[in-house]
Amino acid sequence: MAMKSLDPRVNRLGIPEEKSELQPKGMLDQFETYEAFLQVKEGKALEHVGPVHAPNEEMAFLFAKEQYSRRGMFCNALCVVKTENIFATDFTDDGQDVYNTITASPSGEETESFEVFHLMKRGKQHKYAGDVMASSYEDAFVTAKDHHQDAKPVFNVWICKTDHVLSSDEDDRDIWDTLKEKQYRDAIDYRAQDKIKAFKEEKSA
Amino acid sequence: MNTEALKDLLYKIADDQLILGHRNSEWTGFGPLLEEDIAFSSMAQDKVGQSWQLYKILNELGESDPDTVAFMRNAEQFHNCHFVELPNGEYDFSLIRHFLFDTAEYLRFSMLADSSYEPLALLSKKIKGEIKYHKMHADIWIKQLGAATDDSISRLQESLDLAMPYALGIFEASRFDEELKADGIFEGESALMAQWKEQITKIIDQTELQLPDLDALTPQTGGRYGEHTEHLQPLLDEMSEVFKIDPTADW
Amino acid sequence: MYGGGNTFEALKGTALADEDPVKLAEFEARINRGEKIEPTDWMPQLYRKQLIRMIEQHAHSEIIGALPEGTWITRAPGFKRKLALMAKVQDEVGHAQLLYSAAETLGKSREQMIDDLITGKSKYSNIFNYPAFTWADSCFISWLVDAGAIVNQIANSKGSYGPYCRALERICAEESFHLKYGHHCVIHMATGTKKQREMMQDAITRWWPPMMHFFGPSDKISVHSEILMRWKVKMASNDACRQQFLDMYVPKIWELGLTIPDENLKKNTETGEWEFSEPDWAEFKRVINGDGPCNAERLAVRRTAEERGRWVRKALLAPKTKYVTPLA
Repeated sequence: MAMKSLDPRVNRLGIPEEKSELQPKGMLDQFETYEAFLQVKEGKALEHVGPVHAPNEEMAFLFAKEQYSRRGMFCNALCVVKTENIFATDFTDDGQDVYNTITASPSGEETESFEVFHLMKRGKQHKYAGDVMASSYEDAFVTAKDHHQDAKPVFNVWICKTDHVLSSDEDDRDIWDTLKEKQYRDAIDYRAQDKIKAFKEEKSA
Repeated sequence: MNTEALKDLLYKIADDQLILGHRNSEWTGFGPLLEEDIAFSSMAQDKVGQSWQLYKILNELGESDPDTVAFMRNAEQFHNCHFVELPNGEYDFSLIRHFLFDTAEYLRFSMLADSSYEPLALLSKKIKGEIKYHKMHADIWIKQLGAATDDSISRLQESLDLAMPYALGIFEASRFDEELKADGIFEGESALMAQWKEQITKIIDQTELQLPDLDALTPQTGGRYGEHTEHLQPLLDEMSEVFKIDPTADW
Repeated sequence: MYGGGNTFEALKGTALADEDPVKLAEFEARINRGEKIEPTDWMPQLYRKQLIRMIEQHAHSEIIGALPEGTWITRAPGFKRKLALMAKVQDEVGHAQLLYSAAETLGKSREQMIDDLITGKSKYSNIFNYPAFTWADSCFISWLVDAGAIVNQIANSKGSYGPYCRALERICAEESFHLKYGHHCVIHMATGTKKQREMMQDAITRWWPPMMHFFGPSDKISVHSEILMRWKVKMASNDACRQQFLDMYVPKIWELGLTIPDENLKKNTETGEWEFSEPDWAEFKRVINGDGPCNAERLAVRRTAEERGRWVRKALLAPKTKYVTPLA
């Protein structure tokens, strides 16, 4: 006997009435995670928006696009980086700039390109600061101090190799250029005060 | 311009989008992983939204308002192909349908973006951007699952074999193909099908899947002129269940 | 959306006496300065465990909450309602994704959380164990259940854990459309035809008792809950949330000529507090422990979705995949 539901969609799933045994999922299904970064418009810095679970970076891109820029959200560019490939510094607090904890000096070996992201306030999102040439993640952090530190303290830095970033194509920007009729996602599209007013007037009449 | 021919074209495209949009929306909340659930739902919304805009053009051509047209007709008044009305089945079938159908849609709207009928050309340019993502999504999924494990390959192959006669029904000849071509409105179903074959072959060739011999198949046609499978009417009843409690009410 | 009513019993292995006093003092000082805690900061076990539990339950509530409203996706009347409901239910799934991610930064994997949900080990908001019989029920949920959730979420978004706050900020922005959409639906039903009014009134009558349960029983004030308040894990009492909800929404329900099925419901003009009949907490406990009208179905649907999706995930999972906790 299939389970009877008020939801016709559930009825079509044909779920057996008796409880099926669930095998523990364990780690089997656990995909790796990717961090997604979004540029809301040209000229603005890329900003971290959150992670997605995905089996590889192509899928991560597909998923991030809808999870973080669906329907009517403005977007100019999107990129994903595998979490494992991001080097994160410790967090500092109370006005202390994480760059000021550095004691080493840059190696000066410009073997690889790295991308640098800053956290300017605890509880907010990391923002893109720029790139550096360096020999390792640690070296990139040390080198970034010279290039990207300014008066405002930075509380945490993320660094990844430029090669590890999957970005949206310039040519594919039109995937965000969609039908204008998406107001159904906006609170502003749901005005009904006139109906309430008419209803009250009718009642008091 | 032959308005009857234009309406015939608009109705079949709009009905396809409306019905498949509904089918795809059934996955919302039941998808194979959270992220995919979200992506699939977006594409379902796009399709329903696109059908709405197409019905609005029909409305301007003298047809009833979109809600009435979409939710008050019976199956024999629908012009969608059989392919879109089939139940979802398992995810493999839904993905294969998504791939075969959206490849055709992407090409169709690319053609229509150059249509001599201005309102349709403008709308198609917008729709193209949405469907570009749909196609990107479909291609990546088919390429990956079509070359992953024995299980995923055989599931996809079975669904592909099952789907193909229905997919060919997308291109059921129109009574007006010649007029539409002559007026520069649409290049016609056979031109579309030729491009479609090339596109799907390109993707399938990158997988372990085998494309059935299309010439040996009998296309499932009839949908364009009101003949449907037993699956459409119950879906229409469901779609309009609340609306029909009182079609004059403002819901 | 989310069902609040968090209960905060003591959890094993979280005795404060076992924590490093210097680190604990630094941790508390950071919260006192109004700074957020981030994933790799040192934190007491009690803080970590309570947050995982709370955020995980919130995430489960989103994913299960998608089901009663999803009941009406294919049947929503007309284009506007259809698109809005699809988008709304999709948002709930998206919120679950955001919240699971926030909980993951504390060290529990998403699949483990989903496992705990479908094997019945962890809870979700009780209200979703009730059925949505008619379109009007889905209108009630979209408006008033979401409204209740927003009261909770706005309070929690001012909490101390960075990733949870970030997730809630995104969620609250999206919920503003849900709330307006829900209200819009209810207004149309309540000011519409006789049939529509009846449907809406029936839905209010059905859903009011679970709505009063939504915020949970009165909190027991204990040393434990005081610590969690100090650490900005618990941001408002269940009673305060319920009062705020009643204050904001009862007048809006009444102005539509709808009747709330509680003759004792009124605002005490002297205290400024709402008075109401004591909700049936025995029923609340019974349902939360699995004996509600839809508990079995909700879990069966989730379980089925997991089982049917398994081949997809299995096919895509590269054997060398290494899972690491998301960063923020």
